[in-house]
Amino acid sequence: MSAEPQNLEPAIATDAASPYATLPPTAFEQVLEVTRLLAAPFDLATMLATVTAAARHVLHAERCSVWLHDATTDEMVLEIASDMTRVRIPFGHGLVGACARSRERINVPDCYADPRFDRETDRRSGFRTRCILSLPLIGHDGELVGVMQLLNRTDGVFDAADERLAVVLAAQCAMALQRARMTDALIEGEQMRQQLALARLVQTSTLPATMPVLPGYDCFGLSRPAEATGGDTFDLALIDQGLLVVLGDATGHGIAPALSVTQMHGMLRMAFRLGADLETIFVELNNLLGERIADDRFITAFIGVLDPATHVLRYISGGQGPILHRHAADGRVSRHRPDTFPLGAMPMTERCAASTLVFEPGDALLLLSDGLAEAHDAVGDVFGSDRVDALIAAHGDGPMAALGQALLDALQAFVGASPQDDDITLVLVKREAARGQQRAFERRVDALAHLFSFTAEAIPVEHRELAGTIDFVLEELFTNVVKYGAGRAPVLVTIRSIENGVEVTLDEPEAEPFDLADAPDVDIDLPIEQREPGGLGLHLIRKLVDAVTCTYDPQSRHNRITFRKTHLQPSTPLDA
Amino acid sequence: MFSIDVETDGRAVMVGRLDASQAATAQQALDRTQGDVTVDCSALEYLSSAGLGVLLKTQKRLMAAKGGLRLVGVNRALQEIFTYSGFDKIFQIVPAA
Repeated sequence: MSAEPQNLEPAIATDAASPYATLPPTAFEQVLEVTRLLAAPFDLATMLATVTAAARHVLHAERCSVWLHDATTDEMVLEIASDMTRVRIPFGHGLVGACARSRERINVPDCYADPRFDRETDRRSGFRTRCILSLPLIGHDGELVGVMQLLNRTDGVFDAADERLAVVLAAQCAMALQRARMTDALIEGEQMRQQLALARLVQTSTLPATMPVLPGYDCFGLSRPAEATGGDTFDLALIDQGLLVVLGDATGHGIAPALSVTQMHGMLRMAFRLGADLETIFVELNNLLGERIADDRFITAFIGVLDPATHVLRYISGGQGPILHRHAADGRVSRHRPDTFPLGAMPMTERCAASTLVFEPGDALLLLSDGLAEAHDAVGDVFGSDRVDALIAAHGDGPMAALGQALLDALQAFVGASPQDDDITLVLVKREAARGQQRAFERRVDALAHLFSFTAEAIPVEHRELAGTIDFVLEELFTNVVKYGAGRAPVLVTIRSIENGVEVTLDEPEAEPFDLADAPDVDIDLPIEQREPGGLGLHLIRKLVDAVTCTYDPQSRHNRITFRKTHLQPSTPLDA
Repeated sequence: MFSIDVETDGRAVMVGRLDASQAATAQQALDRTQGDVTVDCSALEYLSSAGLGVLLKTQKRLMAAKGGLRLVGVNRALQEIFTYSGFDKIFQIVPAA
């Protein structure tokens, strides 16, 4: 039966208008008093103590127990009994179980004569149970909240009047219990929310507020915490040893991982400031963190130091991967594995060797926390590494802030309104492409003088000895354009430094399709009478430079010839 | 869906997706293992960092008693996770044939 008072008519009332009318006045007053007491905003424990004390008093019972139903384990849990510790029994067991299962009150005058009675409880407590009145506690939504049991009426057994009174009490108790449980859940939720807000504050307060300014480098770092804080951190900071580059991601959500990564962040800066080396720091950090975090927790971390003078980054990655290295020369992205397991996962007995990564001009290091590629949309599809790769291909040459923004914009467009489950952190470091010098030249042979004064200016002192070869090649290419080119727009020449030499680009707008590679080689061994004029220039260019490429874009009718001249290739005498 | 069976010979079989919501189930089952334990991952489709945590905790406990986990039948996607998280240095991993 339901414990709702209005449904109690057949059991307790003759006057349908007032189910309480037949209760003895004193008992009725007592129930009202209990109801009044239960209306106060109690926590669960106080509420249970109040209701059981009232029930004992009103029904003259030696004891009153309340068993709550734990839906997660499907057990009945004894929450209150004057002198007993907490007991858990499987759902359906004993008289409690019989009452919970049937949702009917059960009045047993002689327990030891009832096979459903579990004598074990008495044996454990030393209490002798004679009679029990069990009542289901059913909430307003019809859900079973628990069972109330009244034990041993002081002057005999529980009668029908006791049952009616107990049913009313049980209904009050069930509603108050449910309210107390909801209040507890709300308080817990609010505490959790406050804890998370604090965790987020702690975590984000250590992130660099501004990006370090390192000449020749472009740095961008960003961490966007999830709703329920994850445990990402990053650092980009100038220290004595160079540029400190860190990305860390602690497992789990909430305050513990936030504190772990914040602790790591602080330890790292301190250790480097004290002059310790990367390998030592990594091992010490691993072992210190390992002692402090739970057995199933760990922090994936990339820790690196870039020397801007040599452009060498030394790093150790504990489980943070893949490490992306974009090569500016060809746009290729190398994916490096981490060097070892995540920080704090296992004790380390020996130093872990650092890896190195060399930044060529324009190269970039891209560290992305797994929250990016693993972000999902409303139907559960993940953003994925292919999308990340495509964005890197499209924006890798530009400023790192623009790449970062492009990644975030694309992610936002992909996930739509889906909540962000994990922190998203980006650490992007790019060596600036050597800034070339560029000038435009009219398509006239007498522009050659300007061209040569430009090369004299633009070729750096340390590559001055390459100037003769470069001038020769440029003259050859430029005069070809003047002689054979159909367009009128000026020709652009760009000169930039590369490792060990110089790269020169000649841009010819309004060009006819042309490919240097298709130009036939001149057979210089032919007898003089069989040789045709022309072609020798192209032949020589290929011999003189380290590499020459030609790209023609039919859409814009733009032809670009790029050649590189380095000290690695011995110069051919120009009078050859 | 995720399920884990620990067989009488100590071999464990994991099936489905081991994510944060299933980590407790997996941990309970693996807590019963002793010595050298082979985990059959051939039907394990997905493993989150919470799942890695379960394996890590188990590995620490087993290693303290000179035992350890051996993960067999590990598919390509899972191998990538183990590799790119550095956990291939902690567990013995046998790829799927």
